[in-house]
Formats: sequence, structure tokens, C-alpha cells
Amino acid sequence: MNLKFIKTDLILGIKSWLRSKGTVFWTILFPVLLIMIFGAIFSDTGNIEYDLVVQDLDDSELSEGFVYILKNISILTIIEIDIDEDITEYMLDEDKSVALQIPEDFSEKLQAYFVNTNASVNLTFYVDPSEQTTTGVIKSIISGMLYEYNMGLTQGKTVIGLEEEKTLGQNFTYIDFFVPGMIGFTIMTSMIYGSIERNTKYRKDGILRKLLTMPVTRAEWILSKMLFMLFLSFISTFVIILVGVLAWGLNIQINIFFFVIVICTSFMFSGLGMIIGRFVKEEETADMAGGAITFPMMFLAGTFFPLDQMPDFLQSVARLLPLYYVNEGLRNAMIHADLDKTLFFTGFVVAFTLIFFIAGVFLTKWKED
Amino acid sequence: MVTMDARCPKCHKIATFSGKPGERIKVTCPECGNWGWVTFNGSTSDRETAIEVSHLKKIYGELAAVNDISFSVRKGEIFAFLGPNGAGKTTTVEMIESIRQPTTGDIKILGEDIQMSFDKVKEKIGVLPQEFLSFERLTVQETLVYFSNLFQRHANIDSIIVSMDLKTSENMLYKNLSGGLKQRVGVAIALVNDPDIVFLDEPTTGLDPKARREVWEVIAGLRKRGKTVFLTTHYMEEAEYLADHIAIIHKGKIIAEGSLDELISRYGDESILRVKNCKSKGTIDILRSHGFEVKTEGNGNIAVRIDYKERVLEILSILKHECVDYDTIDIRRSNLEEIFLKLTGARLSEGAT
Ligand SMILES: Nc1ncnc2c1ncn2[C@@H]1O[C@H](COP(=O)(O)OP(=O)(O)O)[C@@H](O)[C@H]1O
Ligand SMILES: [Mg+2]
Repeated sequence: MNLKFIKTDLILGIKSWLRSKGTVFWTILFPVLLIMIFGAIFSDTGNIEYDLVVQDLDDSELSEGFVYILKNISILTIIEIDIDEDITEYMLDEDKSVALQIPEDFSEKLQAYFVNTNASVNLTFYVDPSEQTTTGVIKSIISGMLYEYNMGLTQGKTVIGLEEEKTLGQNFTYIDFFVPGMIGFTIMTSMIYGSIERNTKYRKDGILRKLLTMPVTRAEWILSKMLFMLFLSFISTFVIILVGVLAWGLNIQINIFFFVIVICTSFMFSGLGMIIGRFVKEEETADMAGGAITFPMMFLAGTFFPLDQMPDFLQSVARLLPLYYVNEGLRNAMIHADLDKTLFFTGFVVAFTLIFFIAGVFLTKWKED
Repeated sequence: MVTMDARCPKCHKIATFSGKPGERIKVTCPECGNWGWVTFNGSTSDRETAIEVSHLKKIYGELAAVNDISFSVRKGEIFAFLGPNGAGKTTTVEMIESIRQPTTGDIKILGEDIQMSFDKVKEKIGVLPQEFLSFERLTVQETLVYFSNLFQRHANIDSIIVSMDLKTSENMLYKNLSGGLKQRVGVAIALVNDPDIVFLDEPTTGLDPKARREVWEVIAGLRKRGKTVFLTTHYMEEAEYLADHIAIIHKGKIIAEGSLDELISRYGDESILRVKNCKSKGTIDILRSHGFEVKTEGNGNIAVRIDYKERVLEILSILKHECVDYDTIDIRRSNLEEIFLKLTGARLSEGAT
């Protein structure tokens, strides 16, 4: 392994990147601009409304009071259903993604609390797992409301809980949704275009031919280029998060999955760029092919708006797109802190990465005809 | 040891020299003291041969881009591969550089069969691919450091910069350089590992005459530093100016090979002196009576074949002595363009060069 070359390649790669105003714009300023604009447009989430199905099995004064509080939350539209209705069937029939069930013993347990402070009661939260953005938002709203309710009732001790409660007091906003999508999108475009440049421009300019005559192995070349691409990915990600936190109070968690997804995404889309470069020889045409792939993918994979606001047909298209898994993986890892879903989406991300990167390396023609 | 007879180009006396087969030595004419180079015939050993190509062939579909060519390049010489566009120059040189796979044939570089052990050779060669462009946003100096760090062997980068006359532009970004400077940087990149053999594929194509001259000086400098240079070009002046040995390639075949003088004496006509618009009758007979080979050309010019350049003076004094009246005189030697035309019926270059 020629470490000296890898080091030089990385340092000079960064230098020439900094000298290219265009690429600096696309990898840093563009996502920052988008975050500022979209954040400003959607920071007032009051005009977005979510349907919440509520079934009050208790039907007491206390539970009615609780439902009344829910009704007063401006972005929730409460749909009350009868006791004898099957809640999951109702959700399916009426195409509702979230429901809250107040148990029969709600008022009983609540009153018991004042005798025995160990008593508590759980509300059941029904969610359609495919519509996790909406459910995440609603869940966080209810959690916040419960927190205050409990506060008022017991000075902080939880008497009313939510079943399968994982998101703790987070308050999701559009920016929480948007930032992970922006990270996925930015990494995707800079990887694809970088890789296309290496596989078309460098071929035309004779740099790839020259490499063949020099003592550098294919592995060393790919490794040093990927180190540079990872540098770009992390710079973009870091700046996006920083702006999200400073400007919009973004609340994120950085964990191992976050890193796994960022690294995988870099390799995945570099591989996709290599595949494009294999079939389209001209740089301009290849750039267009890159745009033809990234642009629809950006919209379809839930970068700017939640998938569950799209028609079913497009939702099933989204599930075929690698960027969808990147976006959802990042959201679950960074924002929702939902380990099961994070694992699920990260698994897909890793699989896509292996396929695209390996195909890219093997399809790339190193020798000339 | 072999011996060889050589005629002094100045006094035309023949002298005998001896040396090793394939060796090239500097000799002095025993008669007039003029000096020149003599290359001894005979089989050349690996020690003297930089590149040896035998029965090399590259087929693309129906087309034999390179069609069974064999040649060898001696160490320390500038070998020019001369041919028009599409002749097969790049295909050949890229097979030697192991960038393309030959259909059949053997290639040895510095005694190593590149099919088996090209990796051993990589440190010893420097390559400037055709139409090469380096990284746009690195300076000249950074570019050379970049490529240098790929090799174990290093030349001193500062001295490359000086010898390629790049000192004033060393901190400029590559993309801002003129075409001629870019090509000089390309040659400089090919030198970062202090290679024994330098391959330059059409290094001056697309340059203006001044920039072309500057690149020529740089290439001529490589020979002085003992490098072997494999140069491809479609400019006959480039081959004439630079090459020790020229191979003319046409439609994938080598149609002529040798030093410039050898090619001219083998395929070219002798030099011709033309007396233009001669107004005196009987000039032809007078010249013939002095033993010259004379003919009249279609436009009425008198063409006199010249075997030795001293005879030009003789002709001039005859013309003066006989009070021959004429407009101008011009003397021309065959050039590679004419040889190419004669051998192929085609022109070497589209432009009027
Ligand atoms: N990769 C290729 N596929 C098909 N034909 C090729 C390829 N490369 C070169 N050729 C053909 O081979 C011939 C020689 O090309 P080349 O070696 O580039 O010529 P030169 O360098 O002398 O201009 C040309 O007719 C060219 O079209
Ligand atoms: Mg060529």
C-alpha cells in the first residue's frame, strides 16, 4: 500500500476541491441554502393538520377531559369512534395511520393513583408502520402533551404512559424531517457527479491511461478516491447539521448507525456513478444521465416531503429507491432514535451499497480496448 | 568488434571505423577533421536495446489497426514513429505501454517481456498519453509532486521545472496554462521518476509553431540527458528535427525505417538544383558536357541532379562563365513528405506544413 500516494492524493484532492467554487457551492452552500429556505417556509407547522383516531373505552368524565385537551391541540384533528368499533379495522378502512386508545380503567387507575402512587395507566398507540413520519410527529405531540398532563397531575411522576413509548419528549418539526433527507440527497449528488467525473473526464484526458503505466494499484486508487469522497460527505453532513442546529434548533442523535449510513451512502452512489460512467462515455451526457437519476430520486424518495403524503403508487416506487432507505435510515437513527427501524433501513442501505459498489468496480473498464 | 565503412559528409572520403555491433560512436574524419556519429550494424543485444517489438498486431473487428510490425529502439536515441492520423501510432505505443492488449506479438522493454512483468518496468518509463490533460486545479509544482509520489524512483522536481523551462509558471494552476505549457508540463510529469524511456504521443499536435519549437527544445534536451525517447508524430519536420531513427507507419504497417539520411538516400531523389526561367539556349548541353545529369521540366525549368553539394559551386561557376541569363536558382533536397508521398501515394499531413 503506497500510503504516501494516498496521503498526497487526499491532500491535493482537497486543495483542488477548495479551488473549485462550483463544487464547493453544491456540496456546502446549496444544502445550507435549502435548509434555510425550507426551514423558514415550514417552521410554522400550524397549518399542517394530522388526523388522530381516538377511541375512549372508559367513557368517563376524566377521559373526556383528556380527549378535550387533545382536541385543543391545533394541528390535530380528532376523530372519535365508538367503543364497539374495531380500532385497527377502522384505521384500515378509513386509511388513517394513527390512533389512540384510552383503556377502560383509565379513570379508575387515575383515581387509584391518589391512594397508591404506584398506580399507572397506559394509553395504546396504534400506528401504521409504513407511515412513520406522520406517526412520529403525532406521537411526539402526544408525548409532549402527556408530559404536561402528568406534570400538572403529579408533579412529574408518570401516571399516564404511552405503550411502546420510545420517543422521549421530542418535538418534531419539519426541519427534523428535512435535515436527514438533505444529508442523503447532498451525499448522493456529490458522490455521483464526482464519480462520473473520474470515470469520464479522467478517461478522456488520459489520466486513467497514465495511471495504468504507473506503479499504483486499482485498490490504492479507489481507496484514496473514496477517502476523499468520505471527506466530502462528512463535510457536507457536518455543515448541514450545524446549520440545522444553530438556525432551527435541530435535535439530533449521533450514533454508530449514522456513521454507517453516511459511509455506505458515499460508497453506494460512487458505485452508481461508476456504473453510469461505464455506459455513457461523454462527460456532459453522463452528467445528464446522473441528473436524470438523482433528480426524480430526490423527490420520490421522500427527501422534501413525507412519503405518506404521496399516492400509493409512488410510495411503492419509493421503496425501490436506494435513497429512500438512506433517508429513512438517517431519520430513524438521528431523529426518531428507533433502533428497530434504524436496523431495518440500515440493512437495506448496506445491501444496496454492496451491490452498487461491487458492480461499479467490476464494470469499470480500466484497460483500453 | 565489427568494422564499418563510412563516407565523410564533408570531404566524401571513405574511412573505416570499428566498434561493437549496434553501438553508436562519435568519430572524426581522418581527412578533414569533421566529426559525426557512426552506428555499427549487427545484432543488438538486450543491453543496447530499449524496446523490442516483434510481429505486433492489433485487430479491431475488420480493421488491422496495427498489422504485424517489428522494430527495435536503441537506448539513448530519439525514435520517431511518423505517420498520418489513423496510421496506428497510438495503438502501437499504447500496446507498448501496456494500456492496450495486443492481439498477437511480443514486446520487450529493457529486456523484460511486458506481458509477464510490466510491473517491473513501470518505474523505468515515463508516459505522455495523446491529448493528455492533467488535474485542472493543481499548480504545476503540485502536479509534479502528485505524480512523483506514485513512484519509488524520484527525479528532483525543481530541476525538472528548470529544465522544462517552467520556473515562471510553477505556481500557476494547470488549467490556466497555454497549450504549449500544458504539453511541457505533460513532458515534465513523464520525467518525475527519472525514467530510462520516455514515451511521447503526439506531444506537439495542436500547438502553434512557436510553442512547438519550445517543446522540441525540451525533447532534444532529453536526449542530452541520456533518455531514450519514443516519439509519435504526424509532423515530418518534427521527425526530421528530432529523430535519430524514424519509422514511417501507414495503415498499420511500417513502410520505411532508418535514420533521416538513410531514408533520404534510400527512397528520396538526390538533391535537385533548379535554374528558373533560363533565357540562354544551349545551357543544357553545356551542363551535360560537364558531366551533369540534366532535364527540362514541364514549366521550362532546368533541373540538375546534384550528387555532392560541392558540385553546386561548379554549376554556378559554369552558369556565370557561360553568361547564362536566368531569374533564380533553388536547391532542394528530398524530405520525408516526398518520401511518404512516393511510398504511399498519400500526403502525410492534411495541412500545408
Ligand atoms: N478502440 C478502438 N476501437 C476500434 N478502432 C480503433 C480503436 N482505437 C483505434 N482504432 C482505429 O485504429 C486505427 C489506428 O488508430 P490510432 O492508433 O489512434 O492512430 P494514430 O494514433 O496513428 O492516429 C484508426 O483507424 C482507428 O480508428
Ligand atoms: Mg494517435
